[in-house]
Amino acid sequence: MGPSSTDTALRLAALTKTFGRKPVVDHIDLEVPRGSFYGLVGPNGAGKTTSLSMAVGLLRPDGGRAEIFGLDVWADPARAKELIGVLPDGLSMPERLTGRELLRFTGLLRGMDLKEVERRAGELLTVLELDRAERTLVMEYSTGMRKKIGLAAALLHAPRLLVLDEPLEAVDPVSAATIKAILQRFVRGGGSVVFSSHVMAVVEQLCDHVAVIASGRVVASGPLRAVRAGRSLEERFVSLVGGRIPEVGELAWLSS
Amino acid sequence: MAVLLIQMKLAVLRHSMTGRRAAQMITGALTGSALAGGLIVVAGRDHPLASLPFDLLGVGFALWTAGWLLGPALFGGGDETLRPEHFSLLSFTPRRLAAGLAGAAFVGVAPLVTLVAFSALVVVAAKAGLGAAATAVGVLAAVLQLVMCVLASRLVTAVLGQVMRSKAGAALAALVSAVILAGLHSSWVLSPLAQAALRTGFPDPFSTWIAALPSGWGLVAVRAAGHGQWPTVAAALTGLAALGVVCWYGWAALLKRRLTTRRASGRPARVASGAWAKGPMTAVAARELRTWSRDLLRFHYLVFALCYALAFCLLPLAIDAPIFLPWTGAVFALWVAAISANLYGEDGTELWGKMMIPDAARHDVRGRQLAWLLVTAPPTLVLTAAMVVFTGEFDLWPWLAALVPALLGGGAGVTVLVSVLRPVPLADPHRRGGNLLENGTDFAQVLLVLILTAATAAPAYFAVRLGPVWAGPVTGLVGGAAMAWLLGRLAATRLESSAPELLLHLRTGVSPKRRRPAPALDRGRPHLPKPDLGLEKLGLDLAPTGRRAYVIASLTLCWVPLVAQGIVPALMLTTGQITRSWFLALHLPQHLQWPTVIAMIALGLVLLTTGLGIGLYYLAKSRRDGIEPDGGP
Repeated sequence: MGPSSTDTALRLAALTKTFGRKPVVDHIDLEVPRGSFYGLVGPNGAGKTTSLSMAVGLLRPDGGRAEIFGLDVWADPARAKELIGVLPDGLSMPERLTGRELLRFTGLLRGMDLKEVERRAGELLTVLELDRAERTLVMEYSTGMRKKIGLAAALLHAPRLLVLDEPLEAVDPVSAATIKAILQRFVRGGGSVVFSSHVMAVVEQLCDHVAVIASGRVVASGPLRAVRAGRSLEERFVSLVGGRIPEVGELAWLSS
Repeated sequence: MAVLLIQMKLAVLRHSMTGRRAAQMITGALTGSALAGGLIVVAGRDHPLASLPFDLLGVGFALWTAGWLLGPALFGGGDETLRPEHFSLLSFTPRRLAAGLAGAAFVGVAPLVTLVAFSALVVVAAKAGLGAAATAVGVLAAVLQLVMCVLASRLVTAVLGQVMRSKAGAALAALVSAVILAGLHSSWVLSPLAQAALRTGFPDPFSTWIAALPSGWGLVAVRAAGHGQWPTVAAALTGLAALGVVCWYGWAALLKRRLTTRRASGRPARVASGAWAKGPMTAVAARELRTWSRDLLRFHYLVFALCYALAFCLLPLAIDAPIFLPWTGAVFALWVAAISANLYGEDGTELWGKMMIPDAARHDVRGRQLAWLLVTAPPTLVLTAAMVVFTGEFDLWPWLAALVPALLGGGAGVTVLVSVLRPVPLADPHRRGGNLLENGTDFAQVLLVLILTAATAAPAYFAVRLGPVWAGPVTGLVGGAAMAWLLGRLAATRLESSAPELLLHLRTGVSPKRRRPAPALDRGRPHLPKPDLGLEKLGLDLAPTGRRAYVIASLTLCWVPLVAQGIVPALMLTTGQITRSWFLALHLPQHLQWPTVIAMIALGLVLLTTGLGIGLYYLAKSRRDGIEPDGGP
């Protein structure tokens, strides 16, 4: 089965990871259709980061399969990794490079032609408005700039699927708008995006598909409208993961 | 205010007097008391010369004060029981806070032990029969000297904390620690000089210098009081007090700065074109070269290697032994290898980026090797050539032509292999404090790489020793290239197969080899414990006392037979430049010299390997049992 013959961009089948005695990811099944903008929501510690790390080949699963356009990530990593761009959350980047250097060396390490790398890097830096910080090292970047240069590195080799862990976490509104616009254009151009978030409004605004993960399991998934079932995503989410909203009489001493 | 802070500090100390912390404190107190007792004994003993006890105490006080000044910066942070930041939101002026904290700084074991040590001033005044007035001056001088010492320590630690954020500071710290370490490793050079001084007294300029240092002003006051030179007494005591006040003012100013300013963002990077990087491997090498120049830690290490090599090889000139000089380049290469074998640990979780690029592992390893050679080889070759020309030891060329390429190739191989096989996780670069002293060095790894890299030169050594004259250089070149290629290949294969495990290790700080499960992945924010030299980190806390003592003693002492009594006299016998000094073998009849050298080297190796073996056994055991390095009792 070649990359072009499948309609699924990412498929997770019974993916499992246990840290200690506690299964953090417990037989997760997930199917991301080609061309979809897929949101992964869940409370803190639900296993989103762990699932995505296993899905792209950064964390070895205890069991199950992860496929990208039909290619097994763990059996055929080289071909699978050609097709994806990844932006993890909270991991380091080549911190002592400027943004342009980072893109150039990443492209060269991918075996891309120097001229092409420089053309794409220049365009990405301009679009992401990072071209004004030519002499700033990545370690001095703000959170928004870090996310943007990470996105640029993920896009550099023109992948078919983007896997992004909390791409908008702690990002200022201006940078967030830029990132959202780029992701929407990527999907319109035929690409697929999977991203995790715990901001429901963002997921409702961007995504056409959504999966709710709690305690390492998928508790609901599918097209956004179907998962919402006529309510707001936030209400539906709280009812699915069993949260509790303070009632009227509680914490009365707060109103002075 | 000061009373309140002293109470707080006492409360904190009381609460931390549990288990291991208490043991550390008691060990420290006992060691300090023993040293202080030593000073008092020196002060109270009979000496062949009247000036000798004063000179000896001067040296002792100078070293003691140097310990106060540099110790906190070099070996960890200083006394931060009460952190000024805790009080920054309260309505104190910085100077009042500094006064309170200064008061609290005198509470603790170290100031107490120091006061005992400085009371040698009183003892020496009484012993020398300088009179009651001089003894009273001694009491006053001891207290003032303590005040000066503690406040100066605060000031210097605060200054270094600021300076360490710059390249100049990194270079300075490297110079100081390199000279201290090289001095310790070649203290055999100084022992004949010290013995002579003990018999015939110190040279006059030396005595003058020792007395001129602030640490010697108390002694000056006591002596002057004995001779009735009261203006000198007043000047020395006022000087001590004034210095204390200046230090306090300076510290208060820095405290204000620490509490009210944030670290300025970095200067704009100097961007080189890097046009030579056109493919995957050269791109990695170009990136590595930027890290060498932009990362304070790497820069610090590089300057350290250079300073160590120069100090270690130049110091024997003090007894007219230029024997090490031609080897300066080789020593430099060896040390650069030793301090650059944590390439992946230093880059932290950045590894994920390479894992997402097909085939990147091979290019990454080869690129790092190339960069290591580009950084190390030119200074090594220049140092070697310059020192050979300087000493005129051209006969050594087969040795140098064999060992230098072997070491360079071996270093290029060992560093990447150890980086992959035995990473030491550090906090990610952008989360590290600006103060590079917060990032400790893993001495076990440094030691391991020193030994492994030196071992890669063994074939070249034997080729020179046993083969025809061309064999050594050829073996060195071919062997060095083969080592770099082979070990690099092993590293790349290993990296390719186990990158996810390596990433997990770097991310959580826990080796996946431990049976105890790694902590779950928090979304980012890895705050790793900084590596320290604690017994727990080495796993030695699990070992029975006897074995623990053996490991520490054997690893500390093995260098005496191995290097000082083995390799050094072996080099002397090989080159024919013999300085007998304290080298046992060189005092023996000729037919016993080589056997003695070999026996000494063997003894050193036995101590080293058994010590390492037992140590590694308990390290593995602690990892298996899953004792967290920072886990409480």
